[in-house]
Amino acid sequence: MSLAAYVARRLLQMVLVVFGVTILVFFLIHLVPGDPARTMLGVRATPERVKLLHEQWGLNKPLPVQYERFMERLVRGNLGNSLFYSVPAGRLVLDRLPVTLWLIGLGALFSVLIAVPLATIAAAKREGVPDHAIRVVPLVGLGFPSFWIGIMLLLAFALNSGRLFPVGGYGSGFVGHLHSMFLPALTVALGLVPILVRSLRASLLEVFEADYITTARSKGLPERRVLIRHGLRNAIISTISVLAVSIGFLVGGTLIIEQVYALPGIGQLMINSILARDFPVVQAVALVFAVMVVLVYLISDIVHAALDPRVRFD
Amino acid sequence: MRTRLAISILVLSALAAVTVGTIGASGHPARRAASTPKRGGTVTIARQEDTESFDKTNVFQNESIWLLEQINETLYTVTPDGRSVKPWLATGVKVSNGGKRYTFTLRKGVRFSNGQPMAAADVKFSIDDARAQKKGWGYIDSAIKNVQAPNKSTAVINLKYPWAPFLADIALFANGIIPKNFAGQTRVEFYKHPIGTGPFMYDSRVVGQSVTFKRNPNYWQKGKPYLDSVKWTFVSDQNTRELQLRGGQIQVDEFPAYNSVKKLQSTPGVKMFLFPSTRTDYMLMNESYAPLKDVHVRRAISYMVDRAAIAKAILFGFGKPANSFMPPQVPFYDPHSPGIQYDPKKAKAEMAKSKYKNGFDVEMTVGAGASDENAIAQVVQQALKSLKINVKFRQVDTSTEFSQLQQGKYQLGFSYWTMDIADPDELVTFAVDPKGGGANSFFTGYTNPKIIKLTHQAQRTTNRAQRQSLYSQIQRIAAQDAFMGFLFYSPFRYATSDKVHGFFVYPLGNYHMEDVWVS
Repeated sequence: MSLAAYVARRLLQMVLVVFGVTILVFFLIHLVPGDPARTMLGVRATPERVKLLHEQWGLNKPLPVQYERFMERLVRGNLGNSLFYSVPAGRLVLDRLPVTLWLIGLGALFSVLIAVPLATIAAAKREGVPDHAIRVVPLVGLGFPSFWIGIMLLLAFALNSGRLFPVGGYGSGFVGHLHSMFLPALTVALGLVPILVRSLRASLLEVFEADYITTARSKGLPERRVLIRHGLRNAIISTISVLAVSIGFLVGGTLIIEQVYALPGIGQLMINSILARDFPVVQAVALVFAVMVVLVYLISDIVHAALDPRVRFD
Repeated sequence: MRTRLAISILVLSALAAVTVGTIGASGHPARRAASTPKRGGTVTIARQEDTESFDKTNVFQNESIWLLEQINETLYTVTPDGRSVKPWLATGVKVSNGGKRYTFTLRKGVRFSNGQPMAAADVKFSIDDARAQKKGWGYIDSAIKNVQAPNKSTAVINLKYPWAPFLADIALFANGIIPKNFAGQTRVEFYKHPIGTGPFMYDSRVVGQSVTFKRNPNYWQKGKPYLDSVKWTFVSDQNTRELQLRGGQIQVDEFPAYNSVKKLQSTPGVKMFLFPSTRTDYMLMNESYAPLKDVHVRRAISYMVDRAAIAKAILFGFGKPANSFMPPQVPFYDPHSPGIQYDPKKAKAEMAKSKYKNGFDVEMTVGAGASDENAIAQVVQQALKSLKINVKFRQVDTSTEFSQLQQGKYQLGFSYWTMDIADPDELVTFAVDPKGGGANSFFTGYTNPKIIKLTHQAQRTTNRAQRQSLYSQIQRIAAQDAFMGFLFYSPFRYATSDKVHGFFVYPLGNYHMEDVWVS
């Protein structure tokens, strides 16, 4: 199967996944207790006012009818209006998507930049002091919750040490975003690095036992070239899968980091809309998450194939 | 405070002194701004919630209301002590026709931010529109028969019957004055970026992130506002707000955590304020659950709640036990109201008088993640064990909690109230008049014909002394009936940069940003 056909098939699968997600999320969020009208009205929620809001939002209709209307709008590219902000839910999500993409993208980049050299050193110096240090120190870091790491980084680099970075916020322009997202991305990376280091180190050690490495060494290739060109390239394939799975989790799991760094990302939007029962926004966020996770796995498969010629699309 | 009145008064006085002392230590900004106000600059206020809407007639969220009050002003406004109203866009009012006709003289030279002069036709349009909002604040204007605009500078409001809270109602933000016919826009378009006579005008908004207002060049108070603009940002994490304040990224931190207050009071460059508020926290007891229908059981439960200990542990001492369901900052609050205070002996005596001497099981609805509420719930659970009342928690998320309390699907629960008007009527009707308030007596199902009758009398009694007597009776009966556990009064907490001057939060929660300046 060609790459194009493979991608087309996976995208078609994505449509099915997204459809399934719409059904699941729609009925789950509507069936759990809680009422957006009562949340909005607070203690002043009289039955009359609640009824008026339900009528205005169409929540007085049976659930299947509401779902049908939702799907009718969806196929026209309309995700409905946020019940609380009275603005299109799709726009709310798309406005916040870049923040989360920056966070995940930069976080993934930092984690690779940190993990690859560390894992390579650890594998090359197996059972030596650097190996033990590299295996233990990040693992200790993994034990600290991300909100604590976030606050410590803010205290160290945004408040007490010459105020190198802003205390939260997204910044403006490419440089502004990069500046503002440095600490949040580093927090993400510090959570990923121990997992990647362990995975990559194990793969490298396995690869180092392979015949082609022995051959490369016997040909007299420099150790650095053996390590990077032959060892790392083969070992990193499994780590890409680990990274993809981690990113898949991160898509919905950046909430704490977004809160600590006051980032207007999709995680915050998701939790606030769930708590307020802002149904259209919950549905829009779930939809975007589903698409993102499927795309991340698709990209991971394509990269996997590009790095390993033995992998075929089928 | 049925018993131990003297002790309670002592405790209340001591806590009040602590609160006032705290404010005094930091300095009342409105009174201590010794140097001359400086024009220019921006203030950024970080808040725990984002703004939902600018539609003053339909929004119930405080974080929206406190913002839109910078744009929309009312004919009368609340005084800084929260206990009265004073002329604002009107210069005065004449009451005639047996208290049913209010003739307002409008202030001269008032213009909307679009330059259009404010006239009586705008007043008529604004109030007619506000009272037509059935799902919003329309109910507050239910005493109004009609609004007239006999000439440009006079607005007349005729009432269906004499209505004592009328001027307080007219000072409600929902009755703010906007240009007639929404200045030619649709209602929806208008409230996306409303026009008003207030010190600031809409500049920009990033939904879910920030709202920025800029100076209204046509503002009627000469020389004000001092600031060029005000920005409100949404920063949900308390620690981050605090760090942003210390880092100079924001100038005002809304509601820092109680456990940070002491630290902020001694942080260089920071002023920590505890403004007296109208917030009152309650423990709700649903009378549809048979044991809680028994007044002796309700009293017993209330006697077992150690409010002072809760205020000390949960509010770090920055609150005081409640002796009435009405807060001290509201007119006609009675400091001698015998609201039940902690007394285990009396609790046991009341329990012995009840039909449930051998105790019973009861479910307490608690908001998941609401740490203060969970802590109070645990204190109550432990305390009620000695009465053989077995409290089981039902943890639900806050939306579900709201929903179930409001629908009476609970047995014990928690809620609170902050005043919207400088008159007790809104709260009293809501809390003790099951049909009038439309909330089944604060969702408790409490019904006492005598207190309902007194509430209606107080609504139509304009004599101040007589109203005080009526509201004192209402508070006394409510305390004796123990229809809720009145828990504690707590302040509004704000930390500001020491470069911010004139920032003062009223007991109703609103603030006048036109008085604020930065050095």
